[in-house]
Amino acid sequence: MSNHNNNNSHHGKGGHHEHHILSTPMALKVWGALICLTFITVAVAQVDLGALNFTVAMLVATIKASIVCIFFMGLKYDHKENTVIFTTSVIFVAIFMILTFGDLLTRGDVYVKDGKIIPDTFTSGAVVKSKFNKPWVSTPELIAHGKEQFQTQCVTCHGAEGKGNGVAAAGLNPKPRNFTVTDGWKQGRKPSQIFNTLTKGLGGMPSFGSAPSDDRWGLVHYVRTLGAHASETDTPADLQKVGIDPTKEDGGGGGEKVIPVDLAIDQMASGAAEAPAAKPVKGKK
Amino acid sequence: MSSSQGVVTSAERHHAHHFESGLAEFEACKQAMWIFLVTEVLFFSGMFVLYAVLRVFYPQMMHDAHHLLDWKMGALNTVILICSSLTMALAVSAAQKGEKDNIVKYIWLTFFFSCGFLIVKFFEYSHKIHEGILPGAMWHFEELKAAKAPLFFSVYFVMTGIHGLHVIIGMGVMLWLIKRAKRNEFGPEYFTPVEMTGLYWHFVDLVWIYLFPLLYLVS
Repeated sequence: MSNHNNNNSHHGKGGHHEHHILSTPMALKVWGALICLTFITVAVAQVDLGALNFTVAMLVATIKASIVCIFFMGLKYDHKENTVIFTTSVIFVAIFMILTFGDLLTRGDVYVKDGKIIPDTFTSGAVVKSKFNKPWVSTPELIAHGKEQFQTQCVTCHGAEGKGNGVAAAGLNPKPRNFTVTDGWKQGRKPSQIFNTLTKGLGGMPSFGSAPSDDRWGLVHYVRTLGAHASETDTPADLQKVGIDPTKEDGGGGGEKVIPVDLAIDQMASGAAEAPAAKPVKGKK
Repeated sequence: MSSSQGVVTSAERHHAHHFESGLAEFEACKQAMWIFLVTEVLFFSGMFVLYAVLRVFYPQMMHDAHHLLDWKMGALNTVILICSSLTMALAVSAAQKGEKDNIVKYIWLTFFFSCGFLIVKFFEYSHKIHEGILPGAMWHFEELKAAKAPLFFSVYFVMTGIHGLHVIIGMGVMLWLIKRAKRNEFGPEYFTPVEMTGLYWHFVDLVWIYLFPLLYLVS
């Protein structure tokens, strides 16, 4: 069995290049190192080192990755070109990260305030006082509020008149609901039923459960003005299905009281609600 | 020129005529493979950057959500893939030495480890699906209150899913290699497909080396 074409003209690089064969003992040593480093990774993760945990984990992962590249993938025994090629990809990933964060972290007060990232308080949320009393009952103010919301959030799909013919509707199948007609409403036209659809979503309709319930009730009442839906009304049982106890002033806590902080900030900026300890954010619409 | 079944053994094979030598052909293939791996790095990097953005902006949510993953299964999969890289490297060495039986044996072992990896992932995924821990709008796991937890699981399912797809593709290629190896198509004169598959497979291991701590361990 001849080894390889032993001519020096293969590509003009200095000297001739033998295929390096990774020996079994060497392969086993590399395997052993990788297993050890895996143990180290797992062990360090059990200890709380704060911010250092991440750094150590990435460092160990990079050592493992380097060992795989150098020995198993043979970069050590290979032409430097391949190492350069592969390293370049890593450099481009770094550029990707740097530019992305360079953008995100410098967008005025949107994500960063006083040099710190605005904390993620979604799990606790901000307590917001609702502006509307008994929002499940339609009032002209609620309808006006709903119309505002509709124009920013719904027109794209449902169209300016709510006919289901918005710009985005062209690509949707089935088409968005046409609010001006009485047929086609999969979950019914009662306020509570529309509220339910808005909250949970339905098929192609996204869920707006994270929007304040005032917004959702406003939308419910506005949308019902677009067609002949006034005859469809809620019984107390219907309201209970969406967590409202109509005998209580505040609905028995079924309405949203805790919303994500950035929504609270938005509402502050638009004057829709008061949120404690939140200041208006510059640069947001 | 070829043996009875129309198969070209490594000893009989002549390199493609536009290369000066078999070695030139091999080196060109190898470099092309590295360039392909560059595209794979960039492909996965999109998802890694997404992960980074979520971590930076929702550290608490990411921390809470990642506890729903079982790190022991992740660690087991890491060990499995490292073993598979070992056997794949040994398969390449065997091909370089023309040891047909070893080539076949080591690739089967690599395949066996890959199956193990997929089985562990199957258990992880089915447990998640059962609990309602699913990405985006399919989420219905009540116990975790973090509002954006579905985002973590979008990242988890997409990254491990696409990685898993790479594993499956690699397994298919391994079966093809086994078939060819049995027909004496690989030897010191020609083992390029085995080497290329080795490079691909080690890359798959590389991605997991980063995925494991990022998804399962980092708090």
